[in-house]
Amino acid sequence: MSTYVRPESLDEALALLAGGGAHALAGGTDLVPLQARGKAAGPLVDVRGLLSDGIEPAGDGIVIGAAARVADVASDARIADRYAVLAQAAGQAASPQLRNQGTVAGNLAQHVRCWYFRHPDLTCWLNGGDTCYAQIGEHEKHGLEPGDCISVAPSDLAGALLALGARVRVTAVAGQRTLPLEELYARPSEDHRSAVQLAPGELITAVELPAPPDASAYERAGERAAWSFALTGIAAARFGDDVRLAAIGLTNEPRLLAPADPLAGLPGLEQTGWKRELAGVLCERALGRVARPS
Amino acid sequence: MAKLQKTSVEMEGRYEDRWVLVEDEPPAWEDERELSVAGTRVARLTGPRRVSGAARYVSDVTLPAMLQAVVVRSPHAHATVELDIDAARAVPGVHAVLSAADGGVTQGENPIFTSEPAFAGAPVAALACEDDVSARAALAALAPRYAQLGFVVDPARALAEQRFQEDPVEDESGDVEAGMAAADAIVEAEYSTSAQVQHALEPHCAVAQWLGDELHVHVSTQGIWDARAQLARAFGLDPDRVHVTCEYMGGGFGAKQGPTTEGLIAAYLSRAAAGRAVRVFNDRRSEAVATGHRAQTQQRYRIGATKDGALTAIELTSVIANPMRGWINPTTIPARTLYRCANVRAQAIPLRIDVEPSNAFRAPGIMEGTFGYESALDELAALLEMDPLDLRRANDVDVDQVSGMPYSAKNLSACIDRAAELAGWAGRDALRDREHADGRQRGLGAACQIWWGGGGPPAHALVRMGHDGLVTVVTGAQDIGTGVTTAFAMVAAEELGLPLERVRVEVGSTRYGVFAPVSGGSQTMPSVAPAVRSAAFDLKGKLLELAGDVFEVSPDDLLIVDGEFVSLDGALREPVTEVTGKLGQAQLVGTGSRGPNPDGMRVNTFGCQVAQVAVDVATGEITVERIVAVHDIGRVISPLQARSQVEGGVLQGLGFALMEQRIVDPTTGTVVNANLEDYKLPTHADCPEIVVDFIDKPDPNASSLGLKGLGEPPIVPTAPAIANAVFHATGVRVRSSPITRRRFLEERAR
Repeated sequence: MSTYVRPESLDEALALLAGGGAHALAGGTDLVPLQARGKAAGPLVDVRGLLSDGIEPAGDGIVIGAAARVADVASDARIADRYAVLAQAAGQAASPQLRNQGTVAGNLAQHVRCWYFRHPDLTCWLNGGDTCYAQIGEHEKHGLEPGDCISVAPSDLAGALLALGARVRVTAVAGQRTLPLEELYARPSEDHRSAVQLAPGELITAVELPAPPDASAYERAGERAAWSFALTGIAAARFGDDVRLAAIGLTNEPRLLAPADPLAGLPGLEQTGWKRELAGVLCERALGRVARPS
Repeated sequence: MAKLQKTSVEMEGRYEDRWVLVEDEPPAWEDERELSVAGTRVARLTGPRRVSGAARYVSDVTLPAMLQAVVVRSPHAHATVELDIDAARAVPGVHAVLSAADGGVTQGENPIFTSEPAFAGAPVAALACEDDVSARAALAALAPRYAQLGFVVDPARALAEQRFQEDPVEDESGDVEAGMAAADAIVEAEYSTSAQVQHALEPHCAVAQWLGDELHVHVSTQGIWDARAQLARAFGLDPDRVHVTCEYMGGGFGAKQGPTTEGLIAAYLSRAAAGRAVRVFNDRRSEAVATGHRAQTQQRYRIGATKDGALTAIELTSVIANPMRGWINPTTIPARTLYRCANVRAQAIPLRIDVEPSNAFRAPGIMEGTFGYESALDELAALLEMDPLDLRRANDVDVDQVSGMPYSAKNLSACIDRAAELAGWAGRDALRDREHADGRQRGLGAACQIWWGGGGPPAHALVRMGHDGLVTVVTGAQDIGTGVTTAFAMVAAEELGLPLERVRVEVGSTRYGVFAPVSGGSQTMPSVAPAVRSAAFDLKGKLLELAGDVFEVSPDDLLIVDGEFVSLDGALREPVTEVTGKLGQAQLVGTGSRGPNPDGMRVNTFGCQVAQVAVDVATGEITVERIVAVHDIGRVISPLQARSQVEGGVLQGLGFALMEQRIVDPTTGTVVNANLEDYKLPTHADCPEIVVDFIDKPDPNASSLGLKGLGEPPIVPTAPAIANAVFHATGVRVRSSPITRRRFLEERAR
């Protein structure tokens, strides 16, 4: 059980979040189930009414408010027209009900997928314990990369936004900053047991899309036709001759891949060799869909 | 006349000669008779109540001063536990705490709570609390301390260590070695099936209350009478002092038998809390770890056949992980009975592992066995270069291969022919060989089904009519969601010659004293509907007698048609209320019972399904595009409810085939996907087109209605039909369910 606070202003919310330990609550589709399983303890600070949910043109790009719903992104005609990869990723994420509830910022800041990390009776390495149960247990849906933790990045939006070169606006009591999306994530470490790199008290307020690519596409494999986290999602965007390729579901954090050899450095684990093969096929297909017409 | 008769009673393939109370049923409806209600498309009568919220489920039952139960479960696969019971009892707002320390808190022979939990999820204590605050404080005070012990959750290790739940069983007929020697081709293969969780939409739940020396229990159960009997036994009560109610249910699928553990916990807690009402309501995690599942199996087959497809010998071994005590899932029955084969050796090996015991799940054993056997026959057809359906036709047989008795009726070949026609079977190779614009490969696969579903006595009903000419059917069945109440109303309306809207049905209470069997084994319709018809027939006779008196004609010269008395010569035409209106507040009551089953025959259901799949071969994505399901269940009373049954069965079969799989962690022994995000059930987006048809011919030997059950049959052949379609489309044979992307891609790479 957790206390729930609904501040009147963003400043008040930031002050409540400032100490760390409290969690910003928007759609709650990840946070609420986590807390129900005894994870992510701490008070909930409801920020949903305090953040923009707009999707607005800005210069050559678009700015998406943190509180915009995943469904809003999926159905926005300008995004579908200019940032196809993002519309496709948003439209395939989760289920219609969850897309109507979950927000863009919450989707980016959600925790990794691993059924041991989320298990109510286990405290794994990522939870602050000593053991990565997945590596000695059932990990056929886990990552391709050895390490302390083999959980995988779940956010379809993150993969698409990474390929698009999006930036994220972050605010805190101490002030604001804007960072490239790739800096929002890193592999969890001994000292920071999370793939999300927000500092304590920081809140995502908006996502900035740069000028649109010449072509973009999202390839995704789930376990059923709807409401399945991506086993892997591959996002590709071509800007002139440059292609940005990004993946979720393969590593702890959403990751940029080298188009020439996308899976270099990702050997696959005992039970995830098949996933490497699957990812290879999806990379090929995504690259094919954005290739410059010959 | 009611009489006691010794007759063969069947429940999911277990036959037993028992004394039962029966009455003769009226003669069958004449074939040529025009039926006006039975067989017509009628929407579920309870639909408006269900969708408007007026239907009262157990979760809607709120009693004064009701306490909430919290069940404490072991997080460990095997451990000892110590609890501070007194500290928990001392917490304000806590009215009862039960644990292994309390003697006599049992389900059947077994204690409900244990100090040495033997699976992760085993209940170690339960508390009855006023609210969440007291519950949390009590849990903290209880402070369970576990000392972990060794465990085995891997069936392979259990087999190596010979950890048997029961002694292995071998059945043999004919001469298997000679049969194999006579074969032109022998197929040999091993199949495995995963643990599938029932996951009814409505979790297990109960509200219990003691009122003086009477126990009242609302419980989501498939068997209110079994609940009554077991509760009475548990508390040493006269069964008439126990009242069990289950008005509406959100599914059971085999997992909600008798009082259920939850109903017993509620009743024990209520007794310990001085009779205050106690509510037990499982969360989704409890549903996944502690209320049962379809047992995991491994099946090895050797099947021989001649060039023309005649089966000459079958040898199989089926390993079943953690079956219930006292019952070995009948996984070998499909191989022993679906087709003709004189030489069969079948071994069943029930293993004990430290996970929660499995229990019944829609066609338990048969569905898993059919996955293996019908996959193996598909492989045999490929080996023989024979059309898989021709192989089945070649081995169709009208005699039960185990008992030697003839079937009361069997139309399997008609099912096969009809399914082939509806599915476009003749064009299946063309479909496979064509290049499709979406780059996917397509194919068709088929599988057949045998199940019991004959029902039988005892089952009773009464039908009463008041002055307004409205009819109430009363029976002690429960509608687990199949829509049987609609079918009962249709049967009564048909028999009485009344418009359907004049009939309502009351089920789900033992207080009426009208016994009906558990809703399991596909037996509710074939057991209870004939009793309803008999009761309506009895009432009709009484009504016609009264009408004869009122109109001064012979009752034999009267019919009831569409709510009116009509004389055979057409001279008289009067509304039924012309007679019933004189009843005042009195009620006219007819009673009826299910008659005995036919002697020397086996009553079974049959069917054939054909699946069409599209496979993205490079990514292992399998989409089921269409399932054609044709079943032979005798007469179909309510085509819409029957159709729903088939759709539900097909979808659960599809889940089993492609995605459902409860996963137990090998190092901790706990279930890692005990939720609905990681345990994948089919969603609407996964639903194929489902084409449903029935042979719809009354079985002349199965009750006066000639109908059989449909609860189980449709789930049985879906998974092997899909697996066979995947093979047809791609040449990849996946021998394990569910056929995940991983399994497909790894098999393809082999």
